[in-house]
Amino acid sequence: MKLYYLDSVSWADSQLLYHALPRLGREGLILLSPASPYVCIGYFQDVEQEVDLEVCRQQGIPVFRREVGGGAVYLDGQQLFYQLILHRSNPLVPAGWEALYRRFLQAPVDAYRALGIPAMYRPVNDIIANGRKISGNGAAEINDHYVVVGNLIADFDYEMMVRVLKVPDEKFRDKVHKTLQENLSTIRRELGHVPPRQQLWELLTEKFSQILGPLEVETTVDPVWRAEVDSLARTMLTDEWLFGMSRERKGDKRKVTIRSGVQVSHKAYKAPGGLIRAIVETREGTITSVSFSGDFFFYPAHRLADLEEALVETPLDKAEEVISRFYTEHGIESPGVTPSDLTRVLQ
Amino acid sequence: MKIDQYNFPDDLWYDREHNWARIEGNQATIGMTDFGQSLAGEIVYAEVPRVGRELKQGEPFMSLESGKWVGRIKAIVSGKIIEANEEIEWEAAVINQDPYGRGWLAKVELAGQPTGLMKASDPEFAEFIAAERAKYGK
Repeated sequence: MKLYYLDSVSWADSQLLYHALPRLGREGLILLSPASPYVCIGYFQDVEQEVDLEVCRQQGIPVFRREVGGGAVYLDGQQLFYQLILHRSNPLVPAGWEALYRRFLQAPVDAYRALGIPAMYRPVNDIIANGRKISGNGAAEINDHYVVVGNLIADFDYEMMVRVLKVPDEKFRDKVHKTLQENLSTIRRELGHVPPRQQLWELLTEKFSQILGPLEVETTVDPVWRAEVDSLARTMLTDEWLFGMSRERKGDKRKVTIRSGVQVSHKAYKAPGGLIRAIVETREGTITSVSFSGDFFFYPAHRLADLEEALVETPLDKAEEVISRFYTEHGIESPGVTPSDLTRVLQ
Repeated sequence: MKIDQYNFPDDLWYDREHNWARIEGNQATIGMTDFGQSLAGEIVYAEVPRVGRELKQGEPFMSLESGKWVGRIKAIVSGKIIEANEEIEWEAAVINQDPYGRGWLAKVELAGQPTGLMKASDPEFAEFIAAERAKYGK
């Protein structure tokens, strides 16, 4: 298999190259890092909801929408990317996404361990060390190829990550900052220093070759690949692409008026602790029924139904108050999900 | 009919990508099978395909995000989309909850008859699902 060792590339190439390779029907492992910072949002994210575009404009930070899932991330040259593209029929590809992550994330796990960082794989797509995430990973299916992308994080600009995210208020921004500091680690934080970049690339190469077999190294982008990147750039670097999902998702489809004064709304919101969904029925602005779902944690779990019950007959503008009181009275814990997040999906 | 815990209605046609088609005259309603949604896991986002889009059997026509990946859904038939299920845009979980009902994906005006499809009662289909279950440990 080819190893495309490209080291530092333009921010746009750091995304377009792995989108282009499977479109050419080619497999490979790409190792690269962006020469300048940018924000990258998940395929289904609404950029206007997730990113503070004004801050990005002021800072000269571009924003890109990838064809891989997950959330908005701040990426820069302190992160070393691995991008693996394998045809779905490749015998190295195990069945199922979790197995895919488990097999190929072993390489960055082993690279971290070789540095003395006690990293381990945590399903579905995390690598953690000392209880903190130390690598971001995602996957997608592009043109009958499986694409797994992720990074070794040498260092991280927590401050800038929090600045580029769109948040409801400064208090929330502080909370996100604190949560990020508590939950995301880096090589510098774990070791107290960053080893030479070359050593990190070599470790990734060695560990991936233990899984993928011998790797034939290329250090340039050939003309066919470059042409495909250029062609993709004409779509993926446009506002139409970046805002496309926003336009499709705009409108009032989430709210259905049953009759005058009676509405049912469906809303989803990705809080730091996970996706929250709510189906709410209101009559003249007062909740008549509500059902929460999603992939967030709520302890004790059986109290979620009680919370739904407690919200019945509550005016929408009092919902946060009721939820906050319920949290206090029942000692509710929902990491990364605040009463304010739950309120947000009701309104 | 049921194959273990998975439901495969008898009146539908199935492909090897875990899609179904209800073919009535020159139209088909298409969606993801019960087994397909189980493989996908909790679906959090789905892209509503554009009405008027031409589909080619076996080629991807929409995406969905489930858990920690973005996958493509391949068309089970060829033809033109005449209606898309807009409900899945804001409530993608209906694909998990009711894959043959509210979780349908699109209605298609057929361009010729699809090939290589199976009925749930075909021995070939049972063999296919058994192999898939073994492969994915489902």
